Order: sequence, then C-alpha cells, then structure tokens
Amino acid sequence: MTETEEKTGPPVTLIDPIDMTKLDPKFRNDISSMPNGEELSACFACSTCTAACPIANQWDYMPHQLIRMILLGMRDEVLSSKEIWECLTCFQCQERCPQKVRVTDIFFDCKNLAAEEGHVPENVLALGKTLVDKGQLYEVINDWEREDLDLEPEVPGLSIEGIQSILKSTRTGKLVEDGE
Amino acid sequence: MPVYSLYMGCSVPANYPNYEAAMFKVAEALGMNLNYLEDVACCGSPNLRSIDTFGWLLVNARTIAIAEKSGHDIVTPCNGCFGSLKDVLHHLTHHKDDLKKINVELKKMGLEFKGSINVRHIIEAMYTDIGIEEIKKRVTKPLDGVGIAIHYGCHLLRPLDVTEFRPEILQEMVDATGATVIDYPLWKQCCGATVLPVNEQLAIRLARDKLKSMKDAGAVFITVVCPACGNQLDLQQLGLKDSYGEVYDLPVLLYPQILALAMGMNEEEIGLSMNRVPADPILDHLSG
Repeated sequence: MTETEEKTGPPVTLIDPIDMTKLDPKFRNDISSMPNGEELSACFACSTCTAACPIANQWDYMPHQLIRMILLGMRDEVLSSKEIWECLTCFQCQERCPQKVRVTDIFFDCKNLAAEEGHVPENVLALGKTLVDKGQLYEVINDWEREDLDLEPEVPGLSIEGIQSILKSTRTGKLVEDGE
Repeated sequence: MPVYSLYMGCSVPANYPNYEAAMFKVAEALGMNLNYLEDVACCGSPNLRSIDTFGWLLVNARTIAIAEKSGHDIVTPCNGCFGSLKDVLHHLTHHKDDLKKINVELKKMGLEFKGSINVRHIIEAMYTDIGIEEIKKRVTKPLDGVGIAIHYGCHLLRPLDVTEFRPEILQEMVDATGATVIDYPLWKQCCGATVLPVNEQLAIRLARDKLKSMKDAGAVFITVVCPACGNQLDLQQLGLKDSYGEVYDLPVLLYPQILALAMGMNEEEIGLSMNRVPADPILDHLSG
C-alpha cells in the first residue's frame, strides 16, 4: 500500500472566496452606461460566450466570468487582467450570446478604462506610438515590388498628418507622452 | 460603370502589393471604376480602438466624411480597415451623442459625418454590383477540381449586425472560378493575427490549428481577403517547420489572384511570386 501524503492548508475549492469589501459597486454602471453596455445586466451566466471562445481554455478568467466580475464590481481584477488584452476580437462570443450582450465590445470598453488608468501592454503602446510618430502602422519598404506591378511607389492617398494631428490630442497622445 | 472610393489602408500597399495589383486587374475586367481616396488616414486597427476609442472613431469618421463629398461608397480590400470603418459607420449611425461630439471635431477640419454612403468590402461590391453570372462569363480557365479552403477573417463576418457580410458571398465567388470549396471544422476560427503583439505563441498556435484543420479536410490551397490573415496563414507556415515540426505546403492566395488566374491572366501580372508558400499546385493544374 502506498502512503497518501498528508494534506495541509485550506481545502481545494473551485475559486477563492471574493473579498466583498474590495468590490466597486459603481463599476457595472461605468460599463453599462457606455454605448456597448446596454445589455450587460441581461447576462444570465449561461457560458455560451465561453463555449464560443477559441482561447478561453488557457485563461484564468473566462469570458462569462469576466462579465460576471463586471456585474459584481471586481474592477481591479478585470482592468488589470491579461485576458482583456489577449481577446482576439473575433466576436464569436458576442455573435452567439442569446441575451445580446455585446461581450467583445464590452472588452474593448474595459481596455479603454484600463488605458485611462495607464495600464496598456508594452507592445500595444508601441503600436500607438507608431501611429503618432509615423502616421501609419506599415510603411512601404520594398517600393520596387510596387513598381514591378505598375503601382505608385508610396501608400496611395495616405495622409500621415490626418491621424497624427488627431491622436496627439486624444488619449493615444497622452499615453505615448507618459510612456516616454 | 459603377464608381467607388477606394480605401487602401497601409497594410495592403506596404505588405501585399500583389493583392492591390490583382484587385485592380480584376476590377478593370469586371468594369468597376476604383478611385483611390486622397488625404485619408490609417484606420488604426483594433489596437487603436482598444486604447483610444474616441481617437479611433474620429480618425475613421474623418475618412468617411471625406468620401461622402464624392458620394460614392467606400470599398476596401482589407478586413481590418473594413472592420474599423464599418464599425464606426454603424456606431455613429446608432449613437447620436457620440455623433454630435465627433461632428464638433470634424467641423474644425471643415468636414461633417452624415452617414450618406456605405462602407463595403471589395469582394461584396464585386458580388452584389457585378454579380456571379457576369463573373462566370469571364472565367476562361476554370480551376476544376482544385480544393480551396476559405478563410473569411473575423472582421469580415462578425458582428453580423455591423458587417452585413454573409459567408455565402465569398463561397459563391470561389465557386464561380470553378474550384471546389472545402468544408473544414475550424472555418469560423480566428487566424490569431490580432493577438500577435501580446502573445505570439498563442497567435502561432491559432494559425497552426487553422492550417491543420484545412489540410486534414483535403484543401490544396487557401484563399483569404485580408492582408493580416494572409500574413498569418502564409508566413507562419515557414516558422511552423521549426516550432511544431510540421509542413503544410498550403499556398495562400488573395481572392482576386484566384479570379485573375481563372480569367486567364498570367502569374506575373498578379505578383504570384510574392506569395511566401509557392503556388505550384495551382499553376501545375492550370498548365496541365
């Protein structure tokens, strides 16, 4: 007979209890008052969004849990989560929701709130900086490829200033400035 | 002849001039008049929406407002640009408060968003305005028997209330070339391109799962209508040899390249040598 290891510590439960003193009851209103949040409270936790999500299996918080966390007021956990930034924005969750909760759009709103507090992953901030500095995400490097195909050498019709001047006065400009 | 305002974005001209060239060749043959929009800005991609929704709304509202002056619908070959522009059009049409704020800013630039034109993917414009029967008439070298897996791309299809693009559109367009559309289980799944900046390993796994699903179902090559999806499925195949020890050899063609070949155009005209995975299977078929 093999000896079973002596167990110490707290019993294994599905999730840790929620510390209710840390909940922010206003968080759900912040989200539901945004243009995509009207149907937020219609969520009945059926988990269809999670079933539709191609990457939920590797997340600590799955889509239906994130929506529940918003409703409960777990502001810090949601806005500091890696999950909102790893969302593929494939809209499978939103498309399947039987309650018309705009799940993907709500995650976009969460990312905006996180950004407002200064939490943006380094490489996403770098893309914002590229937009402010270069006015585009991709530049033509091999212009001979374009000329071989009888296309004009530069990106056609692109106004670099068009996006630069706008983003300098919106949140992107502030984030890029703060990051320098 | 239908006239359109063509929004190129930055990714197609910079990374896929072969897509741009093939689109023009096909559009010309179909009698579509594509005019580059001038003085328009990069759409910013979903990454801009993530950190700065207001900036993203304003940049894309500006593009739509510029196009409204000519009165022609915007068409674009990029799912990312399509997703951004179409989503902003939908948002501002449905949220009057945001529209007011955006128009205050646009007025300073001498512009106004009215919502008087539509934003469309170039493939949908070909399908709706030219029609399958007209397209079929121009197919001189049908691709009979070649199995093609379609990767639609998330921002082309979803959310449907925003994109208004049914998958049958692209399916019928591929059918029109005489090729056989291969059904595969992961046809709706994301290619992984959007998650590249924050989790590269995850992005690679998603591309790999997709390619495997296509190959297992018997696809000979893949068609896409987006530079980001094209990049993921084409370029990542080279890396998968090292990371997963798997070789897929699935050429990835932009849809207008396939239609151009079926119309009898040659491979140089559509820049087929720029596609990373060599397109030999389809060329062998056409010459055989």
